[in-house]
Amino acid sequence: MIQLSQITKRFPGIIANDAVDLTVRPGEIHALLGENGAGKSTLMQILYGFHAMDSGQILLDGQRVSITSPADAIALGIGMVHQDFMLVPTFTVAENTILGLREGTGAMLNLKRAASRIRELSEQHHLAVDPNAITGTLPVGVQQRVEILKLLYRDARVLILDEPTAVLTAPEKYRLFTVLRGLRAQGRSILIVTHKLHEIMELADRVTVMRDGRNVASVAVEDTSGPELARLMVGRDVNLSVSKLEVPPGPSILSVKRLSVRDHAGQRKLKDISLELHPHEILGIAGVDGNGQSELAQALLGLRTIEGGSILLNGRDITEARVAERRALGLAYVPADRRNVGSVADLSIADNAMLTQPRSNTRHSLFNKTLIRARAQTIITRFGVRGANDETHASKLSGGNLQKVILGREIMSAPKVLVVEQPTRGLDVGAIESIWAELLRERAKGTAILLVSAELEELLNLADRIAVMYEGRIVGVVDPASATAEQLGMMMAGTPLEPTGVSS
Amino acid sequence: MSVFSQAFLVTWLTAGIRLGGPVLLAALGETFAERSGILNLGIEGILLLGALASYLTSIHTGSLWLPLFAAMLTGFAAALFLAWMYVTVRASQVVVGLVFNVLALGIAATVYRRTLAHASPGPIAMFQAVHIPWVSDLPIVGPTLFSQTLPLYLTLVLVVVAHFALFHTRFGLGLRAAGENPRAADAAGISVPRMRYLGTLISGAAAGLAGGYLVLAQIGLFRDSIVAGQGFIALGIVIFGRWSPWKAALAAMVFGTCDALQLSLQLLGTHLPEELLLSIPYVVTILAISGIFGGRDVRPAALAVPYAKEA
Ligand SMILES: Nc1ncnc2c1ncn2[C@@H]1O[C@H](COP(=O)(O)OP(=O)(O)OP(=O)(O)O)[C@@H](O)[C@H]1O
Ligand SMILES: [Mg+2]
Repeated sequence: MIQLSQITKRFPGIIANDAVDLTVRPGEIHALLGENGAGKSTLMQILYGFHAMDSGQILLDGQRVSITSPADAIALGIGMVHQDFMLVPTFTVAENTILGLREGTGAMLNLKRAASRIRELSEQHHLAVDPNAITGTLPVGVQQRVEILKLLYRDARVLILDEPTAVLTAPEKYRLFTVLRGLRAQGRSILIVTHKLHEIMELADRVTVMRDGRNVASVAVEDTSGPELARLMVGRDVNLSVSKLEVPPGPSILSVKRLSVRDHAGQRKLKDISLELHPHEILGIAGVDGNGQSELAQALLGLRTIEGGSILLNGRDITEARVAERRALGLAYVPADRRNVGSVADLSIADNAMLTQPRSNTRHSLFNKTLIRARAQTIITRFGVRGANDETHASKLSGGNLQKVILGREIMSAPKVLVVEQPTRGLDVGAIESIWAELLRERAKGTAILLVSAELEELLNLADRIAVMYEGRIVGVVDPASATAEQLGMMMAGTPLEPTGVSS
Repeated sequence: MSVFSQAFLVTWLTAGIRLGGPVLLAALGETFAERSGILNLGIEGILLLGALASYLTSIHTGSLWLPLFAAMLTGFAAALFLAWMYVTVRASQVVVGLVFNVLALGIAATVYRRTLAHASPGPIAMFQAVHIPWVSDLPIVGPTLFSQTLPLYLTLVLVVVAHFALFHTRFGLGLRAAGENPRAADAAGISVPRMRYLGTLISGAAAGLAGGYLVLAQIGLFRDSIVAGQGFIALGIVIFGRWSPWKAALAAMVFGTCDALQLSLQLLGTHLPEELLLSIPYVVTILAISGIFGGRDVRPAALAVPYAKEA
């Protein structure tokens, strides 16, 4: 049994954990829920020895333990799968698995033995991986399996998973849940951070809700409900059912014809993509990660060399135009990678907020600080960025708050076409509600929106049409009013919409 | 003698392998530093200090091995200071390394002027080419490969040792993890500072040793100009050798043969200006470092990036 007692952690200007208590029993899956920035990752990283707590104590089976480094945590049988994976991309799976391990006596690596042990474990727990594969070349879902195998290899008794489902497809998620249930049956303790209420209801035994660094409730899952958890977490009722205004879409504003793109390795990533986007319309792009959705978004923005086809914005050919020209013509973009593409970590919110239109913030060709700060302030208040002011560095923002800043910046540029990738990945329900509302408001104003999302629920709720991508092609376009999640899932796996019988 | 005669070829290759030795030794050590994430530019200065230490020890003891040991110890001590700056202070590795080289040059010049310039000590004991009966007399390979000095053979043994340590031991795995993804290494329970200290210390000891090698097996005297950028060339060799000991050995031989070629060409008396010939090995190094022959993809991802554990 692991007990966290009165854990307090301060960062400059903020109390990330404020006297938090948390108990996880053996054979229990304990979910940790809370808004973005509530302090969940901080608490988990204290338990794993990444952060030092300011006060409080950790008890393992009633014994007080001191955890000052991950090495301490590992020695105590605590393992963690981090929100951003902790793998060395150039190492093989086996090398990553035994990294840091003191097994056997000698100083020599025995990669063969490690590989056979990994094979055993992966069979036992249904976590298929090739021990000799180079980790960086594996899809994220498989990399996560490697992370879990690492913990099993060390025979961890306490497993911490920080938002493990954020990067998974639906089938991968169910596979993960099966694995976790198996581990629970072996008497291990599992702590899982997630924003998805239905996952908690489905998987967890107990749930602890955090708000503003405090533990506001620890309850058994059967004694609560999704809406109640949402209320506990946000402090108000959350309404995720959206009501869309029926607006007739205007004539096409963005027209893509037979677009083809290769990646730097020469692989075709987009094959003959054609689509039309209209004002007052949200066109959803569904697909399993890596089937060309990101490449499509990047090609529209001018971040990819285009091999064939054309892009017309408002009738103008922008196939060869530079990014700045496209933006000036009314394109805006919210990339999937908020930390490395959407923002600059060491710049303040104010500086990040003007990055995409530096010209509009100048007076006599010098930056106008007052204007820049006011703009940042507007974003912070209008989009509800929490626990930050205009001077806060992007690196110090939680994922949800950073996303609000980026979306805010793009919307403030009054775009004609807004390309958004994974707008709510990793966000809490409160934040999702407000981001969805903003996107619908843009749609009502007449913006044409291309929404790339791995969340079927998001697409079904927001989109007017959903195009499904598979291996770089659009395999079908469906109407969300009549489509089901199952149907979309089939198409995402490469099955065409209507079976066409015998094809030539 | 013509450029194409066998005699020329043998002389050239023999000299090439001979000249490549010290830079290879320094490059092997630097490979450890860089694999751990530390760009130790200070090896140029350490080579010089190692050379000085070995020369001073040699004229006072007359021994062969003791000066080599002194050189290594000096390199180790200097690296301890550098590692403290790189890892504990987390200063800019490029700035510290470059300034250290200037400092080392100052120290060497001062010590040399104060103690040696006027004394003019006689010749020192040097490592001689070994002669293995029969093997050394084989055509071509005999003189080129089997008539070199002991430090060269020691260096070649270290190539094997380095490869083994980096790729077949737990230590090597941890060291490489620290240079590729220090946060992941940390999360796996590895002390990144410890790995980076060790990497820097290994590079220091090897560079010090290489300085001694230069004096005791190749030059036989000390001037504050004897290193002449060989530390930087070793840095180039690490890149050219894709951070692998085997390939570094090949790269060092390429450098050595370029250097030998310019010497031989000078002796042959070509019409090319001497300065142009002198620059050949350096030009080759710059081309190698530029990455136009590839290699950028295998650079340790966290090279020269200081790592700070979170509070
Ligand atoms: N290294 C740091 N330095 C300063 N502040 C930090 C640091 N790490 C986190 N914070 C702040 O501490 C608070 C808690 O952050 P934490 O990452 O624990 O939130 P979270 O609950 O995991 O959020 P999310 O759901 O977005 O992952 C946030 O306000 C965040 O900005
Ligand atoms: Mg978090």
